[in-house]
Amino acid sequence: MPTDSGQATYLEAVGLALDSEMDRDPDVFIIGEDVGQFGGAFKVTKGFLDKFGPRRVVDTPIAETGFTGLAAGAALVGLRPVVEFQFADFISCAFDPIINVLARHHWRTGDPMPVTMRAPFGGRLRAGPTHSQSVESYFANVPGLKIVMPGTPEDAAGLLVSSIRDNNPTLYLENKYLYRRLRASGPLSLEPIPLGVAKVVREGRDVSLITYSAGVSQGLEIAEELDKDGISVEVVDVRTLIPLDVETIVNSVRKTSRAVVLHEAARRMGYGAEIAATIQEEAFWHLDQPVVRIGAKNTPTPTSPPLEDAVIPQPAEIAETLRKVARA
Amino acid sequence: MATRTRRKNEAEDDAPASIPVAERDPELLRRIYEVMVLTRAVEDRMVAMYRGGDLLGSLYTGHWHEAISVGATSALRQDDYVAAIHRDLGAHLYRGMEPWQVMASFMGKATSPTGGRDGTLHYARLDLGFYNLPSHIPANFPVATGMAFAAKYREQDRVCLAFCGDGSTSRADFHEALTLSSVMKLPNVFVIENNQFAYSTPLRMQSNSETFAIKAVAYGIPGVTVDGTDALAVHDAVAEAVARARAGEGPSIVEGVTMRMHGHAEHDPADYVPQEMLEEWSKKDPVQLFENVLIEAGVIDADGAKQVREDARQQAIAARRKALADPMPDPSNVEEGVYAD
Repeated sequence: MPTDSGQATYLEAVGLALDSEMDRDPDVFIIGEDVGQFGGAFKVTKGFLDKFGPRRVVDTPIAETGFTGLAAGAALVGLRPVVEFQFADFISCAFDPIINVLARHHWRTGDPMPVTMRAPFGGRLRAGPTHSQSVESYFANVPGLKIVMPGTPEDAAGLLVSSIRDNNPTLYLENKYLYRRLRASGPLSLEPIPLGVAKVVREGRDVSLITYSAGVSQGLEIAEELDKDGISVEVVDVRTLIPLDVETIVNSVRKTSRAVVLHEAARRMGYGAEIAATIQEEAFWHLDQPVVRIGAKNTPTPTSPPLEDAVIPQPAEIAETLRKVARA
Repeated sequence: MATRTRRKNEAEDDAPASIPVAERDPELLRRIYEVMVLTRAVEDRMVAMYRGGDLLGSLYTGHWHEAISVGATSALRQDDYVAAIHRDLGAHLYRGMEPWQVMASFMGKATSPTGGRDGTLHYARLDLGFYNLPSHIPANFPVATGMAFAAKYREQDRVCLAFCGDGSTSRADFHEALTLSSVMKLPNVFVIENNQFAYSTPLRMQSNSETFAIKAVAYGIPGVTVDGTDALAVHDAVAEAVARARAGEGPSIVEGVTMRMHGHAEHDPADYVPQEMLEEWSKKDPVQLFENVLIEAGVIDADGAKQVREDARQQAIAARRKALADPMPDPSNVEEGVYAD
């Protein structure tokens, strides 16, 4: 079982939050491929089977449509399933139950549908076109789903707690590049962090960097660099795409009058387009510059390092864009 | 027609000898009969309503499926779960759905179970233990495994009965649900309503299997094919499967063979169906067949049967009157309830 070392990794934070919710609520169970005896492909659920037993730590055949629909049926009659997709790429196999069963059931019927879907996503692990996808925009156009994308171990814990307690189907996307690269700066709180509340993680004057997931730690590092050149970057962690905290984003842009939106997903029709459009609707007259979006190129994610690095936004490109927008 | 599918390494276990009608619970027989008659009366009324322009969209009926939907549901306890499809009005009525609610659903009325948000065949009520499925059948199959999973999780001896058609068996979610349910030994009963056509696609283009029940062999579970126009044959096969599920022995497949006597929906003239087929099957009206059985066994007499049919007709007329008079929904709250609190 995970224990809090006082410097939990992002991955351990996910496990600690899940463990805590399973301790707290006997209706919470985890289901997915290899989550039991193997402890999960990334080991989030290592030790869970011994602690909670096979009734609540449920290994499945390779059947994403099946076990996502199973989770819906269990939720319908009062359980709180947590579904693990081994890779977010495989979530496409469950597109039908997510869109047609989970997302619209409450609006159609009034019944609650408390299903949390955990999925490791994203690139930079040289895993190639079908093991590196950022899937949030596939789902962001679907009414009835919530989308949660933590960027720190602290948020990974608190937002997972909230997702599990939420009465809606929630897509909780874990950035697998961050799993063992980020550590908490102290003992983790396992108190819920409300969904729909963005966080200004760094105050700044000259330009707002609106981002989420891996963009947060990346953005903070770049902001420190730019600070040396006298450019003051405010970093806003959106944390949840649905619901979106428009107020925090808009307040930041009203202050800095410049905004760059960053994510790892493809730029075209990425969630950044929604954020950019929202900023121009809500804060147009405060803007000194057009809102700029940074995202991946419109190619599948390549495997080979030079190719993948050419597709996914790199620190130099992000820094250069922020510099340009701040000084323009 | 009760052909049975043998499990691997198991001697052929013949169907148990059918219990004579006279030795069965007459109250249960009467209830099955009344609901089958009511199902037919409501659907006949709704066909007229469709033609008269009362309904939105199309109308999906279950003529010749009454013995399957009612026969199967009558083998359950009231607290068992059901994931039924658009041919199974009888299953809903058996549990206590009001005919006017079904009509209201096909009219988009505020009083329909979804308040007009969904409509047509999507009227199932969770308070009656039913899952309200989307149009992507058998999307209800994986959900049915979840309801069964929850029962097992809570150590309740409830089962979940799920229905699908012959066409549904080709889909991935059919296979995944059967795989999950059989591997996890979930208390499911899967009823396949083999009505010869999936929209215009005939059986020979749908499946290369000799029967649909035979698919059970691959999942290592029992599968049985029964005459889907014989309410008692369906009831008995499902009762056996339910007992097995309740005892923790896992799921079963029951295939009921019948005919889709109307089009896929009422807009569909179904001229792809050979006329001889319809003529042949018209002799096998499940409601009439069951009525004959009950009269022969002395459970009801001809006058009693006539009265049941007249009562059902009056119920359908009254249901239409109420549904027609009911209000349309208020669009001002359409954005509410996308998310639960």
